[in-house]
Amino acid sequence: MSRFTRRSALAGSGAALAAGLAACGPPSPGSVNADPTIPADDGPVTLTYWAWLKDLQKVADVYNASQDRIRVETTWIPGGNSGGYAKILSAVAAGGGPDIAQVELRQVPEFALAGALVDLTRYGFAERESLFDPGAVAQVKVGDSYWAVPQDTGPVATFYNREVLEGELGLEAPATWEDFHEVAGIVSEAGKSLISLDPSDGSHPIAWVMQSGAQWFRPEGDGWIVDMTGDASMRVAEFWDGIFAEGIIGTGYGSYTTPWYAAAADGNVLASISGSWSDALNETVPGGEGKWAVAPMPTWPDGYASGAHGGSSAAVLSTSQHPAEALEFLTWMCTDPVGVDAMIEYSGIGWSPAADYIGEVREQPSDFFSGQNYNEEVIVPMAQGQNLDWTWAPLMQRIQAMIGDGMTTAVNGEIPLADMFAETQTEIVSIMQDMGLNAEEAR
Amino acid sequence: MRSKSAPWILLAPFLLLFTTTMVVPIVMAIGYSFTKVERSGLLGESGMQNVFAGLDNYIAALTNVNFVESIGRMIIFGLVQVTVMIVAATALALLLETASAKWPAFFRATYFLPYGIPGVIATILWSFLYIPGLSPIVDVLSLVGIDIDFLAPEMVLWSIANIVTWTYTGYNMLIIIAQLKAIPGELYEAARLDGAGSWRVARSIQLPLIRPALMLTIIFSIIGTLQLFAEPRLLQTMSSGITSEYTPNMSAYAYAFQYNDIGMAAAQAVIIAISAFLLSAVALGINSWMEKRR
Amino acid sequence: MSPTDTAPAGDARPTGRRRAGGPPAAPRSDDRSGLRSAGRKPTTTILVTAILVIVAMYFLVPVYWVVINATKSTEDLFGTSGFWFGESFQLFENLRAVLTANNGIFPRWALNSVIYSGIGSVVATYFAVAAGYALAKYRFPGRRVVYAFVLGGVLVPGTAVALPLFFLFSSIGLTNTYWAVLIPQLVSPFGLFLSSIYASAAVPDELLEAGRIDGLGEMGLFHRLALPQLVPAIVTVVLFQFVAIWNNYFLPLVMLADEKLYPITLGLDNWRAQTDRLPEFYQLTVGGALLSVIPLAILILVLQRFWRGGLTEGSIKG
Repeated sequence: MSRFTRRSALAGSGAALAAGLAACGPPSPGSVNADPTIPADDGPVTLTYWAWLKDLQKVADVYNASQDRIRVETTWIPGGNSGGYAKILSAVAAGGGPDIAQVELRQVPEFALAGALVDLTRYGFAERESLFDPGAVAQVKVGDSYWAVPQDTGPVATFYNREVLEGELGLEAPATWEDFHEVAGIVSEAGKSLISLDPSDGSHPIAWVMQSGAQWFRPEGDGWIVDMTGDASMRVAEFWDGIFAEGIIGTGYGSYTTPWYAAAADGNVLASISGSWSDALNETVPGGEGKWAVAPMPTWPDGYASGAHGGSSAAVLSTSQHPAEALEFLTWMCTDPVGVDAMIEYSGIGWSPAADYIGEVREQPSDFFSGQNYNEEVIVPMAQGQNLDWTWAPLMQRIQAMIGDGMTTAVNGEIPLADMFAETQTEIVSIMQDMGLNAEEAR
Repeated sequence: MRSKSAPWILLAPFLLLFTTTMVVPIVMAIGYSFTKVERSGLLGESGMQNVFAGLDNYIAALTNVNFVESIGRMIIFGLVQVTVMIVAATALALLLETASAKWPAFFRATYFLPYGIPGVIATILWSFLYIPGLSPIVDVLSLVGIDIDFLAPEMVLWSIANIVTWTYTGYNMLIIIAQLKAIPGELYEAARLDGAGSWRVARSIQLPLIRPALMLTIIFSIIGTLQLFAEPRLLQTMSSGITSEYTPNMSAYAYAFQYNDIGMAAAQAVIIAISAFLLSAVALGINSWMEKRR
Repeated sequence: MSPTDTAPAGDARPTGRRRAGGPPAAPRSDDRSGLRSAGRKPTTTILVTAILVIVAMYFLVPVYWVVINATKSTEDLFGTSGFWFGESFQLFENLRAVLTANNGIFPRWALNSVIYSGIGSVVATYFAVAAGYALAKYRFPGRRVVYAFVLGGVLVPGTAVALPLFFLFSSIGLTNTYWAVLIPQLVSPFGLFLSSIYASAAVPDELLEAGRIDGLGEMGLFHRLALPQLVPAIVTVVLFQFVAIWNNYFLPLVMLADEKLYPITLGLDNWRAQTDRLPEFYQLTVGGALLSVIPLAILILVLQRFWRGGLTEGSIKG
């Protein structure tokens, strides 16, 4: 008796083991973008929205009050790389994600690859495209598909301590990269830093090459061409290799980190070359009121006026039962002046994703930034001078990490950026192939 | 008959849970680790399927510089941190057990206190003592002319080691004290009659007899080291030295939930588990080798 | 459960080496006095105490820092020395902010932690002790296999299991529920080992035989005769598991999406993550850290002597 049960128990567990191994493929995302589209609902609809924007519910409340068919409920989640993405992806994998989630622009293709997003082209996004800023909408597009609604962007500009840079040191904000080299050198001799970079933050080099005119990831037919070694990329790599070799900028910490604030308050770090959303962060520099100003990103003789740094989208997740309503709400939020103003007022978003509307408060001069009307004077041209040919690859987290690691070794003087770009290009192609994608290096 | 089914009834709840929460996931992880995904279309939107990958994931993991470095980093970390911690715990235990220690109960409780503070909260607390501009320690050190950045890339690993040491030294000390207390009084008596001082007593009586406890703490510390996750993950936003693949565990997590490469994540998880086995076996082997040599 | 059950069994323990577990405190102090008279010199006492004080300062610095800085405004937090009070004293405003932020989410996290750790540790201990007792007191085929199996479980890092467990749970819809965090922590292989080692020594076969003759069923033997003997091991396993669950971060991080289900570790991390963009969260994080450290510190200080009692048993197997 006992022997029999033991044997059958063994057989049972053996069968379970075999079944486990046979079904050993990890769960794959559903085929939501091949299924028929879900028509708009007749009755009232409640949308759930996860984002790390602060006070987003207040924005949703404005919308909820404006009509009574769609109700939007928001939940705060940690920022993408601080756990937010893992949370969204795991919720989608578990089949219970929200309707809408905040996804950084550069992350959109990666989410699409994970099967987490609804292809909005199928819900008529193309007809709405003209409502959006071209620099914003270009970043959610892969091939012919639109994968998310841009919610804010970050055209790069220079935020600098005018009192120290101009008043104390008699310098000017660098207009070109050549000026940057010179100014950084003088500031360094004065025992200060023009900027301080976190070398492990790969977002900066990407914004630099984008401005320079590179197109690292080019969709061609069904595949990707990876091109990180063209002239536009190489001049950026060589420029920064020179800067790092001379050691004329800070490399201990990045902009708007706690040590950066401490140094900025003491006038030891003078600037940040970063996305337009830097303005709100910059305003918390203790004692900085009236001393800071904004200037354009330093430029190359050719190339674009600025690059894209940060910015987010609101993506409709593949588990949503109401993609049509979600798109309707998001179009309101991101293009209607009321929605854009609400996002600026409550959530402090970056640059407006709407075409021709930057937000009412941003049409005013700023007390913090020396009374400068910097949004209209500086950021608008930065937003208009974007590299619209740029496409984000579906593995930007890894690429950004690789670029960050590469820049760390470059700062330590081990491998220059120029070599790192070439190595990274080869590596990215092989990773993309491992991911089951069709990819090759540019020739 | 009754007593034949009895042990299984008593074992059943444990075994059931053990199977569902440890055995099945491990089998699943092993299964996943031999698969990869094939996609068609720019983003796999025109279809994807899981295919058998053989050892590809393992080969890729073991040739992935970041992953191998993360393991190497943990080995260095373990060698230094576990040694420092065990030596400190033993020294504190011996000191507290000597006659010369005043208020031993107070000190014992104080040293044990950090064990009750979760790693996450310990890291938050220490991070305030690391951040330049916020940390009074950095301020004080720079007053005496020492400029130190606890979060600098080459420094941060040891700042993490400090947090782990802070948390677990008292705990390990208690294990050792318990073992010391189990040493029969006659042995001390005999040593005293031989005229042995505290140092001799420690070396020839106490240390050999607490070896089993030391072994236990070392093995648990090794497994703990391989699991390192919360501390570096929290410090990641403050230190440029910490990448999202800084420790083997962070790497597996990143592959699963950030790079959505589940096959690779599973392969890495399996490698972590096997490493824990091997390292524990090595530790046990060294122990029995030393046993034989004595 | 009567005290008379305990006393003879305590005497029946096989050797003196398990002394640390129970009442015999007297011989222990004899050990000490034997050593005490050996090396009592005033200079040594001062030296040793000085070392112990310095080490104590190291262990207390972060706690001291959080107590001082929980009283400060955000401005003072950055503007004044971290080792002394700032110009403002707003401890109570800060704590009120912690307790009321986001509709009282912090008390909710604390409650969740208590639920996870409380229920988890008690149930896990019951299961582990039952299984450990079965392995120790019954000779049955398959016993060695079970032992070996579970030993493997002790050595596998919990985090290596958490990822596949997530996929398993998500396929049956358990992720993002209390169960997702609770169920995996109901297993304590370590507790099984400890209680089986303890049971083989502390539960004499004669006692069980006597119980059988008195007509007790096998379950009755376990619950009415064995469990009372195992109290020291039970206390140790409960405490060990309680702290392990309380400190866990990876499992809830992987399993939970809803902030309302977070334990305190994940919740505080959530607040800390927001300090990057919103400096006012510094005060919430510091105040929250203070509130979560204080009760645990008291608990640890009170329970510390139980630890001393139990862990010897675990170490004997080494």
